[in-house]
Amino acid sequence: MASQRTLFQEFKKGIWAENPVIKMLLGMCPALAVTNSAVNGLAMGLASTFVVICSSAIVSIIRRFVPGGVRIPTYIIIIAGFVTLADLFLRAYFPVISKALGPYVPLIVVNCMIMGRAEFFASKHPVVPSILDALGTGTGFVWVLVVLGSIREILGSGSIFGVTLLSERIYTPWVVMILPAGAFLSLGLLIALINYLTQRRQGAH
Amino acid sequence: MKILLVFISAAIVNNFVLTYFLGICPFLGVSKRIDTSVNMGLATTFVMSLAAAITWLINHYILIAFNLPFLQNVTYIITIASLVQLVEMFIRKSSPSLYRSLGIFLPLITTNCAILGLTLFAALREYSFIESLSFGIGAGAGFTIALVIMAGIREELEFADVPAPLKGAPMTLLVAGMLALAFMGFAGLLSV
Amino acid sequence: MKNSSPLGMILALTVTAVVIGAILAGFYQLVEPRIEANRLAEEKRAIFSVLEGAETYDVIEREVPSDKKGGEIIRIFRGLDADGRTVGYAFIAEGPGFAGIIRMMVGLNFDLETLSGLKVMEQVETPGLGNKIGEEKFEGQFKGIAIRPRIEYLKNKKPVKPNQIQAITGATISSKAVVDAINKRVETILSVLGPQAAAGEG
Repeated sequence: MASQRTLFQEFKKGIWAENPVIKMLLGMCPALAVTNSAVNGLAMGLASTFVVICSSAIVSIIRRFVPGGVRIPTYIIIIAGFVTLADLFLRAYFPVISKALGPYVPLIVVNCMIMGRAEFFASKHPVVPSILDALGTGTGFVWVLVVLGSIREILGSGSIFGVTLLSERIYTPWVVMILPAGAFLSLGLLIALINYLTQRRQGAH
Repeated sequence: MKILLVFISAAIVNNFVLTYFLGICPFLGVSKRIDTSVNMGLATTFVMSLAAAITWLINHYILIAFNLPFLQNVTYIITIASLVQLVEMFIRKSSPSLYRSLGIFLPLITTNCAILGLTLFAALREYSFIESLSFGIGAGAGFTIALVIMAGIREELEFADVPAPLKGAPMTLLVAGMLALAFMGFAGLLSV
Repeated sequence: MKNSSPLGMILALTVTAVVIGAILAGFYQLVEPRIEANRLAEEKRAIFSVLEGAETYDVIEREVPSDKKGGEIIRIFRGLDADGRTVGYAFIAEGPGFAGIIRMMVGLNFDLETLSGLKVMEQVETPGLGNKIGEEKFEGQFKGIAIRPRIEYLKNKKPVKPNQIQAITGATISSKAVVDAINKRVETILSVLGPQAAAGEG
């Protein structure tokens, strides 16, 4: 099906309808691992967005030169390269964030969202749509991570982006929210909520 | 002794799936039935052990020797992808029935972040060769344990009346959350 | 897309790998000084936070035997006050914690009998439990603690002797890791400093 979507629609679909985390269930490892605070979620989201945009762009540019048989390994090398660039950049210019995200930055390589965009879109479309598609996916990823990170930070530490909202005197933080169990519970409930809203909207039509 | 601790830590106390969130994609996708989970778990454990060993060798004899730490990500992921490819070809030739039953899962192991994750963690913690190997096997065991427990629960849930919004991924995630809570109880195990 | 001739495939892979490798090597050269500078800045902050009253410091380097192949170079940071007198010595101790390696800066008082402070620099312990070793509440316990015969930790009990601290509830492993790493390192540091201190330096 040759979709004649406008450029804007290529961008928009990644934000909601084809959101990598909540609809396509991709990129969950980082979504769970580094969303223990809003700023960590944002940083991971931005780093991943950088990688997906650059990878999709390069994959699209070289798509006519790569023989089918070595597509995937070639894309892997490209993605790993950009992830290393992002990692080095963070370690040099944002060391605090780099420490907080820790070993999960190199793991962006296996974020299925990135390979997914490269394989299913960028390898078959010109550069500009590929970049917009990647930008949309990245944006979708960022907002989910920030929301998740904010929820877990507010409930688990009483703050958001480091700003204390609920001081320890009036609210005992649910420490579990910044632990792994809390990550699973938050994401599960978030997806359930979105499913519910989607179903209601469809039911109303 | 440390070797055993590394194994138990990776398998139970710091279970790869429930503590480090590695291997979530297959965890959510494959854990519908116990038998497929066991197969996936064993295949993954095999690949993890090999990956742990080989990446250690690469790290020590190439990356560190030639001072190329920035090539770690690229070389590790290529190694893992190649390894999975080789394992797939090997299984296809040596045991076609096994190959058929594993089906799509084999190529999926490549994007299992648990494998790359375990190799990177082992490098970060500067494990020795034997420790890395133990870590790989332990990680695979932990992955299998988590997968099989989840599959057991999901098989039971088939008969339950799950509300529509929770069907599928949300329910699995909530169950995983409860499993993660349960596994937190193991935290004191290693203080013996 | 081109058809998959073996030569074409190998060429594509090799070119990609070489180009990416070159870009990474170049970028690494570019940022490595900055990464190193970050590390040094953090080290400096840690040194001054454990050595109260120090205005500057100099570095003592010695080679000591260790279980790694060949020796190991120990760096001791000697803190000096405004008049150039030694206030204490800072050194890095590290050891395996619950989830990863814990790296900390330890301050030893001039008397070589007590610590002047502790600063945990790197750790990946469990948030909300083990990672409390990085909090003032835990680190503060090491200010003025006696190092002889060695530092001990108590579980769920307040310390009674001058060489004891109370471990974090629910995070005994992380607490123990810190104590073990310090004890181990202190031995080595004293063996280096002992003769020097006796010779009346500073």
